[in-house]
Amino acid sequence: MKNWMYALLRGLCLVCSVQAVETKRAVVIYEDKASEVQAYTSLSTKPDDLWITLADLKRATGFVNKPQGVCRAELCFPLPKKRRTEFLQTQSKTTWFNLTEFARLLKQPVARDDERAAWYFGPRPEVQNSFTKSLAAPNFTLPDMNGKQHSLRQFRGKKVLLLTWASW
Amino acid sequence: MYSELKSQNFEIISVAQDTGGVKDAGQWIEAAKPEYTVLIDTQHLVTRLYDMVNVPTAVWINEQGRIVRPNEVAYVDNRFKPLHRLEAEEYLAALRDWVAKGEKSTFALSESELKQRLAPQNPDWALAAAEFGLAEYLYRQGQSAASIKHYKEAQRLNPENWNYKRQAWALTDAEREYGTNFTKEVQKLNGKPYYAPRRLPDKK
Repeated sequence: MKNWMYALLRGLCLVCSVQAVETKRAVVIYEDKASEVQAYTSLSTKPDDLWITLADLKRATGFVNKPQGVCRAELCFPLPKKRRTEFLQTQSKTTWFNLTEFARLLKQPVARDDERAAWYFGPRPEVQNSFTKSLAAPNFTLPDMNGKQHSLRQFRGKKVLLLTWASW
Repeated sequence: MYSELKSQNFEIISVAQDTGGVKDAGQWIEAAKPEYTVLIDTQHLVTRLYDMVNVPTAVWINEQGRIVRPNEVAYVDNRFKPLHRLEAEEYLAALRDWVAKGEKSTFALSESELKQRLAPQNPDWALAAAEFGLAEYLYRQGQSAASIKHYKEAQRLNPENWNYKRQAWALTDAEREYGTNFTKEVQKLNGKPYYAPRRLPDKK
């Protein structure tokens, strides 16, 4: 539907209980987990923003919108009060959350592919950089050739030479 | 080297930074049949976590899980010496010294030296890592053509990262898609090494 037609219909239909919302399917890769979400891209003045439902927010990122902020376990990020509508908007009973604005607030790096509607959210800087202060070697869990998982943590109590290589 | 040092409470964890996984890295592991732990990192997670830019890169980690020497080029044999001109024996001697003496080794860095060497990630590099992560995701989805734009963006944002370049080039016809290849890029450097130099202190 053309944008002006949509605007006109919305204007005429102020009291309609059901309102058509233009959404599309998108993929969110958050902390290496890929999830399909419903995306609403025309909600804000920034056309590149990604708005998702609160249900998708929880499923894709683990974050939940609470009165004290957007939270996951003991982690809570309060939303700036005066800018609340830049993060949350309700359209015909569905509340949409601006995941890209949230990433800006958290200073997360974001990469996107418009054609494939794919969004990649990298780690927050304090997570990425924590080892430069604590000097603790970042833990990882990876498989060997037979698929058995090994964690760096399991080698505690020994000196370790961590060595990367590649076939290329 | 491992068989010599393993009795001294020492382990090697060797991690393949290979998008192709066992398909690409497996033949090397089978040929070497190492006794130490070899892991397959199809998402280049270790590169991202430790902010690495090349292979081979090593990190020394002590018994408490604390970094003792951060990222540095680590050739443990002389197979590629004609290319990089680094003598493996100097590195191995340093490693043996640390395994034997622990924190008292001249090669174990103090906390203040470590904090000087470990800088927070440059925001452009963080963005590069996100572009690389997206490229890898698209590639795994069978969207090889779509991934190239994002590999290129990662390479542009972090030109020091050879993993971003070499892995991307290896996944496709590098000449056709990127207009270059590894040999050409090394030639362009005109003798300048394509990794940050090692900073081992003189032996005591």
